Amino acid sequence: MKITSLSLGALGALVVYIALRLSKGFALASIADVYILFMIAALLIYIPAGDKGKKGSLLVLGTLIFFILLELVRPLIPRSLLNVYNFFILVTVLLYFTSKDEGARDLMAPIKATLVGSENRTFRTALFAVVPLFAALITFNIVRPSYEAPGDTRSIHPAPPSSVNVFNKSYNLLTLKNPLRDDAANYAKYVKEGGEVYFKNCFYCHGDKLDGKGHYYHGVNPKPLPFMGTDTIAQLSESFVFWRVATGGPGLPKEGAPWLSAMPIWEHFLTEEEVWKVSMFIYDYSGNKPRTF
Amino acid sequence: MQTFLKISIFAVIALLGYTLFANVGIPQVRPAPPPAEEETIGAMSMDQYIVLGKKIFEGKGTCTLCHNPVLGGRAPNLVNMHNTSEERLKDPRYKGKAKTGEEYLRESMMNPSAYVVAGFGKAWTNDTESPMPQISGPAVGLKPAEINAVIAHLQTKDGGKATVPLPTGADAAPAPAAAEAAAPPAPAKTAEEALGKYACGACHKIGAFAGAVGPDLTKIGAKRDESYLRRAILDPNADIAQGFPAGVMPQDFGNKMTAKELEMLVKFLKAQKG
Amino acid sequence: MGSFLKRRFIKRQAVVTAFIFTLLLFVPILSHLIASAPDTINASAAFAAEKKEAVESPAAKKEEKSKVEYPPAPKLKEKDYPRIKSMNSRISVWILAQIHLFFAAFVLAVPIFVLVIEGVGKATGDERYDHMAHEFIKVSMTAFSLTATSGGILVFMLIAFYPDFMKYLASVFGSVMIIYAMLFLAESIFLYIYYYGWDNMRYGFRKWVHLTLGLMLNVSGMTIMVLGNSLATFMMAPSGVDASGVFTGHVWEAIRGPLWNALNLHRFIANIAYGGSVVGAYAAYKFLSAKSKEERAHYDWMGYTANIIAISALLPLPFAGYWLTAEIYAYSQTMGITLMGGAFAWLFITQAVLIGALFLSANYYLWCGMERIKGSERYTKYVKYIAAVIVICFLVWFTPHSLIKTPIEEKAIGTHHSLLGPLGLMPAKNSAVNIMILFTFLSFTLYKRSSKITTAAWAKSGVAAEIAIFAVGIVNIIALGIYSYMVTSNIKVGMSVPQVFTTLSIIIAISIIESRMFKNAKSTGDIEWGKMPARSQYALLLLAVSFTWLMGLMGYVRSAIRQHWHVNSIMRDSSPDAFTPTIGYAANVVSISTILFMLLVIFVFWLAQFAAKKQEA
Repeated sequence: MKITSLSLGALGALVVYIALRLSKGFALASIADVYILFMIAALLIYIPAGDKGKKGSLLVLGTLIFFILLELVRPLIPRSLLNVYNFFILVTVLLYFTSKDEGARDLMAPIKATLVGSENRTFRTALFAVVPLFAALITFNIVRPSYEAPGDTRSIHPAPPSSVNVFNKSYNLLTLKNPLRDDAANYAKYVKEGGEVYFKNCFYCHGDKLDGKGHYYHGVNPKPLPFMGTDTIAQLSESFVFWRVATGGPGLPKEGAPWLSAMPIWEHFLTEEEVWKVSMFIYDYSGNKPRTF
Repeated sequence: MQTFLKISIFAVIALLGYTLFANVGIPQVRPAPPPAEEETIGAMSMDQYIVLGKKIFEGKGTCTLCHNPVLGGRAPNLVNMHNTSEERLKDPRYKGKAKTGEEYLRESMMNPSAYVVAGFGKAWTNDTESPMPQISGPAVGLKPAEINAVIAHLQTKDGGKATVPLPTGADAAPAPAAAEAAAPPAPAKTAEEALGKYACGACHKIGAFAGAVGPDLTKIGAKRDESYLRRAILDPNADIAQGFPAGVMPQDFGNKMTAKELEMLVKFLKAQKG
Repeated sequence: MGSFLKRRFIKRQAVVTAFIFTLLLFVPILSHLIASAPDTINASAAFAAEKKEAVESPAAKKEEKSKVEYPPAPKLKEKDYPRIKSMNSRISVWILAQIHLFFAAFVLAVPIFVLVIEGVGKATGDERYDHMAHEFIKVSMTAFSLTATSGGILVFMLIAFYPDFMKYLASVFGSVMIIYAMLFLAESIFLYIYYYGWDNMRYGFRKWVHLTLGLMLNVSGMTIMVLGNSLATFMMAPSGVDASGVFTGHVWEAIRGPLWNALNLHRFIANIAYGGSVVGAYAAYKFLSAKSKEERAHYDWMGYTANIIAISALLPLPFAGYWLTAEIYAYSQTMGITLMGGAFAWLFITQAVLIGALFLSANYYLWCGMERIKGSERYTKYVKYIAAVIVICFLVWFTPHSLIKTPIEEKAIGTHHSLLGPLGLMPAKNSAVNIMILFTFLSFTLYKRSSKITTAAWAKSGVAAEIAIFAVGIVNIIALGIYSYMVTSNIKVGMSVPQVFTTLSIIIAISIIESRMFKNAKSTGDIEWGKMPARSQYALLLLAVSFTWLMGLMGYVRSAIRQHWHVNSIMRDSSPDAFTPTIGYAANVVSISTILFMLLVIFVFWLAQFAAKKQEA
């Protein structure tokens, strides 16, 4: 038996992939999926085949490179989506490798050799032991009771209503602007006052660095929104922020269901002016500008 | 025969895969059941009627599918409709028959093309044809009483006054154009006058009055702030003083008072510190 | 068809392509003409009536009174629907209608390309085309009677389960229904003469008669299809009736609904793709069970031709679908949002998986096909890049707008996914599907080139120009896609038009350069028909299975966006089955229909074989 560098690479890639999966903090059982089973079985067949198994190792390596790249994407891709992504990547790689007769033969020959050949007895035994065991692990993983709540499809960024009734007034959210922004002379003052409001009320969840990691960060789900970066409040008009602050989690429309958000209804605790000031503060601190279109 | 079996198994596996994906791979959203067909609207107060109108506007009427600024402005945003509806009647492009703002609003739902807001017409019609469906038509299927509720909501949501007739509960023939509502009484000039006009003293001990049905208000300013007082007038059941039953105080002051009167009263009450 | 693609037949290629495109244009243009004709007739009639009225108004008024009065749409209660024990009315009608449509699409599509292939055979004088066309039509003969039978059962079921609805429909479409039935008779007559007269009218002037008969067969078939479509579009977007369902009396207004032409085009193209894929599956089966080398070569060639037909129709299909969706939005935004954003949003994710399977298997078949061509080694190295681009585009296309996250993932990801969020929107998907189409076209171009070596002096600059066109086009598509994110939603939607335009221009430009460049090309040797791996035939089978299932699913959603209406907004469905089911439920019904259909198709294929064998004494 001759171990080629290609098969070593494939083995290494599998180790990296499994390590990546484990590093996401999930139980050992949750790495039990058909893709890893497929890879293990493929390696048990192609590594012992030496030079004849080159194509097979290349297939495993190529597929795993795609898989690993997808695992490295941040923010991470939900597993439900990754399963489909992986499926189509695997299928396409398989199709590519079998599109030529030579490739198909190279892939098939080691399989036949392992299953019926006389040389690879040990590996045949290993294959016949590992595959059912791993399949059992997959089954166990599916049926095992879990405390994890089922996933949901709630819309995080729901469409706001056209107008909202808060502070005993009706606001048209399309045209609503922050009235304090017109007063450019007092901008610094408003931001400072907004900062005071923020640190008296908001920072417990949204964090002292506005990164969404306040004291209660670990306790709430959905997580508090971070304001830093360009993809949260920077994508919102200030009227949207006003609406979300004033009506809080309970003010979410139907698409936002289930209403798990712990955001309080701030119109009960803050004045209208304080809401505008705190909005100015978070935009100023995070270096963002409200969206205007 | 072997080929045939292989092919059949292959086809069945492919089909099973698709079926499995459609059943397990995607969330099974259960669409809402067909809406109930007959809904009559019983007698109610104007307040409840306006609330119903808002509900219909956002729900059954499906208005917010398009009249929603956030979805990219498929249709005009409906603000200040109590004023806008009157202005439209004077617009030279207006083609309808309405005489009052209320009639205009009703017409805009029954015959949306009577006035098309510039830029919102069907493509290539130069704003002469509206893409909006007829609201009483079966696409949305609002009953006349429901349309009136929506009108009431549109008129009041930005501070106007509802002029539609209240539903009678019979909900039979289309409601006739609203009878011209009686002219509202002149607004009060001072807080004391307002107290008399809205008969606050009949129940409360306040100013020159010594009612005993509701809570004593002579020291209220020391305990409560303006926003509490304002809400207590507009929505009396939001917070009930200890020892008094809920639902006794009229709930329609929000519709009867002018903003000025309300603010005068709030200020007056805030000043009552014993 | 392989030799047909050779340089010598460049003119014929152009003629055939032009002919296919004319056929594509034929249906909508004709329907527009027919649809507008009654307008002028109506208008002149109205004008005449006006004149008449001016002269003798009392008489005219009398005439008014004797006019037929049409009933409004009935308002049904649950008890108005007959119950038949142990049968669910909705599922029975659903399955039957689906099977009928599968067969109908097949028997309408086959004569279209049979006629084209026969024409090609006549033009080139190559007997093989004629044989293949004959075999195609033989396959569709038994399917034809099954179409009629399933249609008959469907009508009886509709009358038994939904009598009031059928009564109302007949009050509007009575005349259309009768013409429809008559046309069916005409179509059968043409089909029988066309099929049984094949050998009799084989050569010379008689062949022209035969071709004309084929054309008449197609004309009657197309007319049947557009008339049938008018009933379907009337139920979705009624026209020619007032708000309470009272018929205006002008049947053309009822036929020419707002969605009619879009549906006609979409079904026309989809039928061809579907018919091609089913014939391809037949060829695949025959190939796999073939005993002799000649047989294998013949069915390989047949499968190849069928696959080319299916792919050429598949490429413009997304655009036709886009037009239909745009018309649905224009007719009713509520309906459009229900379709794309409401309960059916996840259905389009399922559709994405199916389309992915279609594109992958079609490409795979082409890649495998390069094996049988000497000289293809020059191009196989590009296959991996094509595969990578197609799978990446497909993954973008598949990415849903709202992700399914477990609570743990929700915590880790947060509320908004900065990468997948934008990919879930329309601009990314439009760009991806355009690029996917272009790369499939690239596969096809490389395949065609495989057997040729250009002799043109300007070949180098020609290839450079092709690469430049391709690259610039792709950059343009991506740039337009990115730009769409920066503009408001109403402009965003319009952005897909220049993208589609870019794709079409690239395809046309490169096809022209290719045909010029390989005009006097050297051949690398004949294509070795029959030298095809068995697994490639499974790609053809998957194409047919996926097409059938996808057709069932998309037919369901087209019909289901009416929700609880028999005739949208005019006649309410008050039966207990008026609810909109989940997608899983619908998928199960579609799978059952598909399996039943496949069993019947197997019967048809078996019959074709059975009839060919003679009993030995």
